[in-house]
Amino acid sequence: MRFGYRHFILLLLFPVLTIAGCEQPKVEFIFSEKTNELMPAAAKPVKEALVREFGNPLALTQFEGLPTKFGDVEGKVKSVEATGAEAPLIRFQATGLENVYDKLQGLPLEWTSGKAQGQVSRIKEYNFETGMIAVEKAADIAPQPGDTFLVECTRLQFGRDLYNRHCMHCHGMSGEGTGPTSRYLNPPPRDFRLGIYKYTSTKSTDKAQVQDLERTVKEGIAGTYMPSFKLLTEDEVSAIVNYVIWLSIRGETEKKLVDELFLDFSKETFAERTSEAGGETPEEIDEELKEYMELDFPDTLDFATSSVAEAWEEANREEALVIPESPRVPDSPESRERGRQLYLSNKTKCATCHGPQGRGNGSATHDFWTNPVTNTKYPNRGLHDIWGNQLPPRDLHRGIYRGGRRPIDIYRRIFAGIKGTPMPAFGSSALTEEERWDLVNYVMSLPYSSN
Amino acid sequence: MGKGWCLFFLFWPVAAVVSCAAAPFIGWSFPYDNAQAASNLGIRIDHLFYLILAITAAVFIGTQAVLVYALWRSANNRDERAQHTHGNHKLELIWSIIPGAILLFLALYQMNLWADFRFKNHYPEAAVKDPLAEVTARQFEWRFRYPAIGKQLQPKPQPDDLYTVNELHVPFGKPVLIQLRSDDVQHSFFLPALRIKQDALPGLQIPVWFEANKPGVYDLVCAELCGWGHYKMKAHVIVEPEEEYQAYLKNLTQQQSYDGLGQIAANENGSESEAAEK
Ligand SMILES: [Cu+2]
Repeated sequence: MRFGYRHFILLLLFPVLTIAGCEQPKVEFIFSEKTNELMPAAAKPVKEALVREFGNPLALTQFEGLPTKFGDVEGKVKSVEATGAEAPLIRFQATGLENVYDKLQGLPLEWTSGKAQGQVSRIKEYNFETGMIAVEKAADIAPQPGDTFLVECTRLQFGRDLYNRHCMHCHGMSGEGTGPTSRYLNPPPRDFRLGIYKYTSTKSTDKAQVQDLERTVKEGIAGTYMPSFKLLTEDEVSAIVNYVIWLSIRGETEKKLVDELFLDFSKETFAERTSEAGGETPEEIDEELKEYMELDFPDTLDFATSSVAEAWEEANREEALVIPESPRVPDSPESRERGRQLYLSNKTKCATCHGPQGRGNGSATHDFWTNPVTNTKYPNRGLHDIWGNQLPPRDLHRGIYRGGRRPIDIYRRIFAGIKGTPMPAFGSSALTEEERWDLVNYVMSLPYSSN
Repeated sequence: MGKGWCLFFLFWPVAAVVSCAAAPFIGWSFPYDNAQAASNLGIRIDHLFYLILAITAAVFIGTQAVLVYALWRSANNRDERAQHTHGNHKLELIWSIIPGAILLFLALYQMNLWADFRFKNHYPEAAVKDPLAEVTARQFEWRFRYPAIGKQLQPKPQPDDLYTVNELHVPFGKPVLIQLRSDDVQHSFFLPALRIKQDALPGLQIPVWFEANKPGVYDLVCAELCGWGHYKMKAHVIVEPEEEYQAYLKNLTQQQSYDGLGQIAANENGSESEAAEK
């Protein structure tokens, strides 16, 4: 790139902007493409609801009932600083926040006593050393010494800061998987907003356990650009995962809301319904939408979040975990041979995708497949995942195990499949426990075999 | 030029010398444990560095003293005019031969150290015969492959090899050798505490040996700007007594053969090693 005149001006402007830029930048969670395909009148309440309940990256919000550690902390006003009538902020010194995360700026502060009880202020400035807090001035906010309050989302904020430092440049600010580095990566970074994670220890119908995501953060994913973050502390890893799950829940909630509305109120449907064949007037549709928003939408929102939250909670039950009934069948040439027969058999059809020799070149990779979401054919041959990426079946000779290389990891891939991909679950199929272990033994022997 | 300027030009070299002399005592010097390297080779490298520092300091102080003296004399004496000369053959010879001799001395003096550090036939035999692990640099992490307990590291992966990431355990008090590789771009294996640095190049396997002389948790960083996530490329090298190292390998073996049943169930999703957290 040539360093032209315009760049020079930018360079000169930079110090000016840095000095002038004391105000926090406006950063927002992005909405899904599908949300933006809704009629504007339908998209608006969806977006407003999401901002109300989840906030934005620099102004997080607490939505009750999620399996998320928000990290509320109680504080007490010690003294209030006298300010002029025009001052935009109210400053006061607080106690009780001494051991809390030192960056509380942007968080909601709910008054639990005093005149403002029940009101929520936003923290505009916070000084960890002095305990000084500044909130925006409002008519009925008049803190007095002794007033108590809750600072909400401190744990979430801690996770957000770590996420933004370590994960955001690939996974994106909203967990949508399109951070600035993402376009250089293959496989692309995960879009968290479907709430689906590939490498889990849970049954095929369950979501990932918290521990699964923590393990992924700590160990990385071999063979992809997801590196290991082992040098972070346990506390930091758990804060990141807490935030990632929260981002997932936000995305899933959005998806559920939009799916409810899409059939009747997408831009496309609107065009169809108001076309000659449809025969409805825009006013009629507006009326219908208004009615829906008033009567049903609050319940839909409630149901969407609670069902998502429940699914995340359930994944951490002990019953969700895949645990073999019997120990691994000793790894012997006989067991491997039995595994090989199974691999080639019609019972498992492993070879259709992974190829007769396990090179990842089975016949299924030559076909055009149908996208289960849109019901249209993919433009290119081969298998795809639900994020729409082409997904070659793994070459089993490479000895790279994305979900971990322990026998139990391979077992779980076979038992529960790989979520979000065409890899099926053989947990409830006709395979016996011994057969699954024979398959594990065969698969694990492939990198060291000669063929 | 006034005397004020003489003092000004005197101040800076004095400040430089004082801050250099004070550096080791205020933590501005070599990293770790009173600036003492955590490997014997590292101590020898430090010694060489200090020798060069002493020589350059002597030259620096000498030339600065002459410079300030010349300024001071002319500041005191406004009558005497400067003279233009066409060089001095004798002086030229002196200031060519002395640095040449110093360089020659350094070149000969450090030869053994360099050979021990970088020449394969000078590597400790035991370490060469039985390499500790294969270290693979990758955007943006360090992956390690150990041979199974009682076996030797093979160039190609073996079914019972042990794998970890970003955490290399090393026994102390004996030389060890690692095989350094890169999976993608150029990285650099840098152990500041041990004064070890070696580039990792795609397609090459480079043996690197070192001997840690005291237990501890040391940083392993990448010293080659290798991409956007370069800053993330950090690992720990955990130097521990031989028994603890063997126990670590045993634990790793157990973790890695875990079939979902049995004792390590409680810990199964945890970090693959719980040893040696700071
Ligand atoms: Cu690097």
